[in-house]
Amino acid sequence: MARTRTNRARRDDAQPEPAALAHARKTARGGLRRLHALQALRCAATLIFAVALARFAGTLIETGRLDGPALTLAAGVALLGAFLGARSEGRTADLEAEVGAGLIDAVEARLATMPARAAADLPRGAVIAGLQRHPGALARLVVGHAAARRMMAVGPVLTAGAVALVSWQAALALLLATPVMIVFFALVGGLIRDRAAAQEAALGRLATQFADRVRTLPTILAGHGLARETAKLDRRLDAYADGTLGVLAIAFLNAGVLDFFSSLAIAILAVFLGLGHLGLAEIPGFAHLALWQSLLILLLAPEYFSPFRRYAELYHAKAEGEAAATALAWAFPSEEARASEPAPLPDAPGARGLVLPHAGRVRDFGLPETGLVAVTGPSGAGKSTLLRVLAGVEAPASGAVRLPEAEGASWVSLDTPVPAGPLRDAIAAGTPAPPEAVARAAAALGLSEDPHWPGGLDAAVRAGAENLSGGQRVRVAVARMLLRPGTAFCDEPTAKLDPANAARVRQALATAARSRLVLVATHDPALAALAEKRIVLGQTDCARDTARDTARDAA
Amino acid sequence: MTRSPSQAAPGGSARIWRLAFGLAALALAANLALAGTAVSFLAAVALASAGPAAFAFNFHHPAALVRLFALLRTGARYGERMAGHRAALADQVRRRTGLFAALARAPESRSAGWQLGRPERLADYIDDVADLDYARLRVGFPLATTGTALLALLAATALLAPLALLPLALLALAGGLTGSRAARRITASEASIRRARRRAAADLGAVLAGSVPLAAEGRRASALRVALDPMRDAEREAACGRQALARCEAVMALAGPLAVLAVLLASWQAGARGTGLLPAAFLAFAWLGLAEPILALPRALLGSVRARLARASLATEETPDAQGEDAARGSTRGALTLHGLRLRAPDGRDLGPVPDLAVTPGIALTLVGASGCGKTTVLKTLAGWTDDRDGEAIRLGGLDRPATERRALTHLGLHDAVILADTVRENLFAPEASDAALWTALAAVELDDRIRAGGGLDAWIAEGCLSLGEAQRLNLARAALSPAPVILLDEPAEHLGDDQAARILKRLLAGWQDRIVVLTSHRPDLALPSRRITLEPSSFAPDQGRRPWVAALCRP
Repeated sequence: MARTRTNRARRDDAQPEPAALAHARKTARGGLRRLHALQALRCAATLIFAVALARFAGTLIETGRLDGPALTLAAGVALLGAFLGARSEGRTADLEAEVGAGLIDAVEARLATMPARAAADLPRGAVIAGLQRHPGALARLVVGHAAARRMMAVGPVLTAGAVALVSWQAALALLLATPVMIVFFALVGGLIRDRAAAQEAALGRLATQFADRVRTLPTILAGHGLARETAKLDRRLDAYADGTLGVLAIAFLNAGVLDFFSSLAIAILAVFLGLGHLGLAEIPGFAHLALWQSLLILLLAPEYFSPFRRYAELYHAKAEGEAAATALAWAFPSEEARASEPAPLPDAPGARGLVLPHAGRVRDFGLPETGLVAVTGPSGAGKSTLLRVLAGVEAPASGAVRLPEAEGASWVSLDTPVPAGPLRDAIAAGTPAPPEAVARAAAALGLSEDPHWPGGLDAAVRAGAENLSGGQRVRVAVARMLLRPGTAFCDEPTAKLDPANAARVRQALATAARSRLVLVATHDPALAALAEKRIVLGQTDCARDTARDTARDAA
Repeated sequence: MTRSPSQAAPGGSARIWRLAFGLAALALAANLALAGTAVSFLAAVALASAGPAAFAFNFHHPAALVRLFALLRTGARYGERMAGHRAALADQVRRRTGLFAALARAPESRSAGWQLGRPERLADYIDDVADLDYARLRVGFPLATTGTALLALLAATALLAPLALLPLALLALAGGLTGSRAARRITASEASIRRARRRAAADLGAVLAGSVPLAAEGRRASALRVALDPMRDAEREAACGRQALARCEAVMALAGPLAVLAVLLASWQAGARGTGLLPAAFLAFAWLGLAEPILALPRALLGSVRARLARASLATEETPDAQGEDAARGSTRGALTLHGLRLRAPDGRDLGPVPDLAVTPGIALTLVGASGCGKTTVLKTLAGWTDDRDGEAIRLGGLDRPATERRALTHLGLHDAVILADTVRENLFAPEASDAALWTALAAVELDDRIRAGGGLDAWIAEGCLSLGEAQRLNLARAALSPAPVILLDEPAEHLGDDQAARILKRLLAGWQDRIVVLTSHRPDLALPSRRITLEPSSFAPDQGRRPWVAALCRP
């Protein structure tokens, strides 16, 4: 834990961009180029439409003549613009989906390669909820937001170019207004940041109050705290609403500034152009224009500001995307854990010079080709750890183990996944066993006639095996193990069982051990008594269990 | 407390909604008027300058109007945003408080396995609530304002250039077709995304929890791929929905450009020339001003689909209300007696009888049994957390106590109790207790040093600040502070070391000499000064089968 934290700190110092963000940007790069091109084309179509429309309307009003080519061009370009708009929006959606799926791929790769124990200890709910939301948020940042930012650079330049066709002075005026607007932007942006940072500390706690009270509802009911918590929730939500409005008042200023500039541009330009038409003022660039020319300037002025406004509207996409990148950091470790030199394998099945992580040295032992071997010892002595090391799931701190040659392996414990569906399929999962064998295995574990679980082999297992008790899961796992070849690893197989079922499990393990090696980590003296060989842990060192280790072993 | 969560807007926010709607209408009207006025003003001066009337042209009125509309548009837009969000937030506060009260009344909150306690389910639930919170702001509101503007412009068009309605009608037809197709597509894709997410959440949870078994059997990578595939599909499905919406948006975006050309052309066709074309120019460019706001319509479509699905999903979680708490009647002294109780699995299956028992104050009763034997359900029955069943009777102080009354009489220490994101003081659920009493309780569970180091009673704590063992001890401190005559503790030794569990529980039991205490444990080796009963489904076996125990505990 401490190590990952220092890693993260180091990465932050070295490169400011989180690894998840860099990964997403890399995936998006190729598609983003096409997207930029589409958007630039669409912008060009909008500008050509404005020119054609100004030409058509100006001529129509000024001379009463119908400008056929301009009308046709305007209609054609409007259709083209709409088509390009739909295309670029569709491309954005596709690209975001691609980036999101790519991030899920990266997470999958990380989950598949990280130590199994670490994966099992991840905060599952938070990982799942994050995986459902963070890839999408990050994809919006590197695709939608990035495209809007690019348009902010391209769009105004193209618009100014179109205005320059009729009046370079008007184009210059627009370009000159930009720095003023940016200064306003920076001022308002700074205000938002400062204000938001100040508010965040206060609001952060309040924002999650509703979710937290929903999460903790049974605890609140058990503590007779409902009335008090409801009143508190009401009060705090009110306070949160007030605080949020304070932040929004500033955040909307951003859009307000842009609205102001584009409204002002229309108002000022209209007056200047009007003065020019009437000959009341000789402003260079605004006088002696045809009506279509002044109409064009008027049409394009708000267009000049619209990319800025679209970008400002995406302010939350940036914050959400960056938060998502930080939240996904766990899936992008900055450096691979160094693989330790593998120690030479022992000559015969067993362990040599083995040191377990967190549990310490284990006396050398040998393993038979078949038979029941029990690993015993007090809580926290490392029984489960030894089992994982023997199964090759966890690397030992030093030393090496070797198992007898066998095809495949089975693991029996409380957390063995039981797939959803009929019980017979859950027992047969991953084995080519015939129905009779499945029925025999189920009968051996008392699963086919469990009075508390009617339906026999057709009984339904719900998703996540939610409807099975811990004991039932273990019995399903043992039955499945009977149908699979190879070494069996069983972690506390009798801990959560009533006496009758514990006896069934012991019997099943003893039967299986006749033809294969069955390793059990157990507290159960009756099960240990059946074993041909015992590996006793924690005899020399006084085991200092922390509450956590005890809990882990009990689980 | 009696408000229904789906109730309509209250009087308080209705006023703000009206203000927001007024401002939105003003902003939109100013926007359209600005576009129309500016263009027709320019056209007017251009026509005037050609004739001799150039110097007589009243230049100031239209110029002032243009400035007025520009400022009105900016100000009203800002005001609309603020008022709209204020109204939405006011609704949010009210709706969420109502939802919380409804959840608290629902029987699920007291049954086994609180689903919304799981982060992924909670996140989905909060998303649904947020979709509903903003439905009005994102759907009803833009529909009303844009719809009004659209109708006004259509009416003006019918008056000024009726021929222009023909292409607009064709466009409306295309818009309606793509819109309804997009709505169907989005509904299907949002629904399938929800299903995929649910499935992926269950599968991925199981795969992560089973990482060690799967790795040992060499199946981890394939299991992960299968579990994550629905999530990848959901991303692609969302893209399909957005593409359908983009097609609809493209059609709507054509409305402005098409209308401007059609109105001018129709008016010219009708013979209008020169200044006669000015009203048509005003209308045409007002249509162009609507080009951007009209895109709110397809966006509202997405919002309304989401809100509908959210409403449906929240409705499935709303169930008929259970009863609340009733005040206890009469004396609450004396023994707690159980008659005709049944052992039940969390899903309600009958696992056999619980013998008739009497528990007297000062002598705690420990229920021991294997996982799944129904210990927790017995405690919840005693606590009044399950409905009363025929044939079951629980008496205290000589009176039959129905479930609603037992709720008030008991303190239930849940085995999966959690920490609220709040101060230590609030987490102890004892608003009446003095600081000294709180510290005494914390000391009894050996948590006082830890809390003092963390900043005292008013320090903010949350899930994750405390280890599982510390959270368990805090939960025991809640029990220690409870004034209830009946204390029920589910697995109080879980997550604690053997020595510490025995030490703390002995200390607590010593302080509860006048209370009835029932606790459960799956650890038969816990050394406590209490009576012990081993619960077994379909049979009742007192510890080590000694008959005299039964005689002492069971009364006819």
